[in-house]
Amino acid sequence: MKALMSLGALIGVAGLVLLGGMIFDVIPSTTVRLVEGYMPMQMLFEFACFVAGFAGLSYMMSAVGMPFPRFWQGIGFWAFVLLYLKYRVYPPIPFSVRAMYGTVTLVAVFMWISANEEDWKKFKQPIMNVLDAQTGMNKLLRYAYLVLLPILIGGFSYNAMKPKSEEPIELRTVHPAPPASTKVHGKTYTLQTSQNPYRVNPEGKYDQEFSNANIVEQGMGRLMKPNANPWDDKNTGYLKYVREGGEIFFQNCHFCHGDNLNGRGLHAFAFNPIPANFTDPGTIAQLQETFIFWRVSKGGIGLPNEGFPWASVMPPWEQHLTVDEIWKVILFEYWHTGYYPRTWD
Amino acid sequence: MIDSITQKAGIIAAAAFGVVLVSSAGFSIALAQGLPEGFKKGDLAPEPSADMIEAGKRVYFTKCVWCHGVDGAGDGPGADRLWPRPRNFNQGTFKIRHTASGELPLFDAKKPIPGQNDLFETVTHGLPGSAMPSWEGILTEEQRLQVLSFVTTQLVKDRKFTDKQSETQTVLQLADLKPKPATDESKKRGSELVVERKCVECHGMEGRGDGNAFNLKDDWGFSIQPADWHKCWNFRGSRQDPYNVANIFRTFSTGVNGTPMPSFADNTTVDERWDIANFVNSLCERDALGNPLPIDPLTDKPKINFVIPSDLVEGEIPVDIEHEAWQKTSKRYVAMGGQITHKPRNFVNRIDDIWVRSLYNDKSIVYLIEWDDRTKSVAEGKLPWAPTQVNIDVKEQDPKTGEEGSIAAHQNNYTVYNDAIAIETAVKWKELPAPIKPRYLFGSNDQFPVDIVKWEADGSLRAFKGTGWDKDFEERDNYEESMKLLKSEWKNGRWYVMFQRPVGNKKDQDYDEDTFFEVGQYIPTVFFAWDGHNGDAGRKMAVSAFFYTFMNPPIPQETYIYPAVIAVGVVLLEGWVLTRRANKKKGKTL
Repeated sequence: MKALMSLGALIGVAGLVLLGGMIFDVIPSTTVRLVEGYMPMQMLFEFACFVAGFAGLSYMMSAVGMPFPRFWQGIGFWAFVLLYLKYRVYPPIPFSVRAMYGTVTLVAVFMWISANEEDWKKFKQPIMNVLDAQTGMNKLLRYAYLVLLPILIGGFSYNAMKPKSEEPIELRTVHPAPPASTKVHGKTYTLQTSQNPYRVNPEGKYDQEFSNANIVEQGMGRLMKPNANPWDDKNTGYLKYVREGGEIFFQNCHFCHGDNLNGRGLHAFAFNPIPANFTDPGTIAQLQETFIFWRVSKGGIGLPNEGFPWASVMPPWEQHLTVDEIWKVILFEYWHTGYYPRTWD
Repeated sequence: MIDSITQKAGIIAAAAFGVVLVSSAGFSIALAQGLPEGFKKGDLAPEPSADMIEAGKRVYFTKCVWCHGVDGAGDGPGADRLWPRPRNFNQGTFKIRHTASGELPLFDAKKPIPGQNDLFETVTHGLPGSAMPSWEGILTEEQRLQVLSFVTTQLVKDRKFTDKQSETQTVLQLADLKPKPATDESKKRGSELVVERKCVECHGMEGRGDGNAFNLKDDWGFSIQPADWHKCWNFRGSRQDPYNVANIFRTFSTGVNGTPMPSFADNTTVDERWDIANFVNSLCERDALGNPLPIDPLTDKPKINFVIPSDLVEGEIPVDIEHEAWQKTSKRYVAMGGQITHKPRNFVNRIDDIWVRSLYNDKSIVYLIEWDDRTKSVAEGKLPWAPTQVNIDVKEQDPKTGEEGSIAAHQNNYTVYNDAIAIETAVKWKELPAPIKPRYLFGSNDQFPVDIVKWEADGSLRAFKGTGWDKDFEERDNYEESMKLLKSEWKNGRWYVMFQRPVGNKKDQDYDEDTFFEVGQYIPTVFFAWDGHNGDAGRKMAVSAFFYTFMNPPIPQETYIYPAVIAVGVVLLEGWVLTRRANKKKGKTL
């Protein structure tokens, strides 16, 4: 038990030192990298480590006879959560969201320290002591608070009232409501009934099962199936068109959407927000192919008014590509991300 | 006693002599082998297993083939529209290495260790400033090693990584070389050395990559340009750690294979190399306090603040950049991407950032814009279309590399147009209904036009009205008199342009045509930039995202009054709590 707890304490101290270093910029914040794709799991794991660490620390300190008072445990944990969210998590969380998490944590901390009468008493004892000011130390503290609190609160309100320029947050609707039909290069396509003419088997028949069997494998790397190489010259049907779509993608789309379709292309750094990430299960995986066909053809300019807020510079690709090319690009995007397009039924 | 001292002295002397002897022997061995200082002989890595190579093929044909091509000749479908171009693997020429000039880079399929595996690090961190992304988090470590096993054995055709007859490895011992502290003295010596060693001939007097920029070619005959030392986040070898001086030291020691950048290992000492690296590193853009700019891990470029603050100046706005008012305002990094929305599209964009500052007084607002441009371009040829025109049917650079009219063939010999910069603001930005953000470029429609102010290198400052992406700009002659060009200068690879326009107001300006710059409001602002030597003209240009000009209002009186009132209130509250507690203890209740 003790060994386990001391291990926990060690983790806790190491974690706190790291976090402290990152807050004060002594340790570069990339020391423990948050790797894209693993970030949420990594965060949860780290958080669990911290909690285990705190438990260990608290146990060890009481074992050596210097227990943390419940009062400081509560406040310390709350402060830790706020600092962790502000300094560790990347991309940064807006203040409003952090405030929400902060409130929830505060409530949780209160529930924890007031779980039974004894704990609650322990928690409020230091406050009462300062109020009563029976000892010299407490008297000093009381006067310090008397002076500091008005200054601090006054200072905060001055800061809050000073005219400031905070960056407006740019939002984007990911799935605006599509129209019933769209007219591209003079031909009308009904979104519900149109099909990708290149999603075909070697015999040239529309075949979703055949194409689904030949997309890349899900899992790390999203690599092609060993016997389904779009660069094989003998390909007919689906895989041949995937390759043609890829050629169009890498001449037109990757500048923004990136070599790995994750929205991190060559020009992506200049965007706000950065371009859509197709490898995210929330984008094309949620949509029908015809929806993508409409979005690609009409671009940001073609978005309906109900679709706001949109901050999209996507060009109406019908200006640059033929209908066939657009269908092939869509085919490639689904192949490369390993997602199946949704169907209408 | 004395004996023992002499004895000790004797031992020390002998030891010292021994050290001298050994070190000079070591030195002469190093000289005998002709190794430059800081390098050691290394062994060739063993050949990767057949399994690794086979597995790597699968990775290559999923991820890499699109730019690097089926045979690894750097001629995939994406290559024609890229600059810098994708690497041609066939010759085994790789830029970022720990090995001596001309040698193959370090690669061992079993050792993914930083500092000992150049190609692995390149794939892991990508090559900033090019289209090569970081593959960390996308491919596993194993997959990265696999694909490199495939590339080094199957696609490098002219050389062999395991051939002891033809290949040597002379490895820079970067881990053992302690960086020299970046003292003023070291940087000063570095600044003298870059002149003495002729670095400035290519990299320019201020290191903005503007020296000799238009005559350089890589091994394959493609145009290549010297690095801009002020943008360290674009250094190919920056390994996602741009302000790390060791990266510069390494590039300088090993050279960049396949380019005119030689290795300086033979004619500089390690000490001198650190001085140069320290100096080059010190040039990279920093914030007002001299700290490195925070880098956004999502893009590996400086973090962007989308608000451009404009400070109030009493009286005339100073024209001198060194003036205190300009020095005190915040300078904003504005990232620029190629305009690839409307024809003619700008795939090869050469202005990737500009720096903006602004000041205002009761009548005008002034923007000071600085950006690096390797060449000063003033139009020689006549533009084939009016710059205001929408060129929907313009032919793009469709031909493939090697054919006439391709981007690769064009580089370095475009007709030269004017360098230019423009600011677009929405006219009725306050009345825009929520969904109609001024449609990214060129205005929404007749009802919600944009106001464009454009400076060109021929000295003109003109105003345009844009009413939609598919409409020609209208030139606004009547407005041009109210604007003023305060400064435009090109010096050592950087433009400094400052111009003034009226802030306008609703009463006596024509609010339907001009943007009204209102204090304390977020005014949507977009920047356009053109590099005349890159064939930029009309809509072939660089664009920014939406920024916001924010004119900082003077601090109102309430800001001082209310906090004081609140503080007094807190004191009263404290008094109340304390009396209550005291009464309770005494057994009294209120």
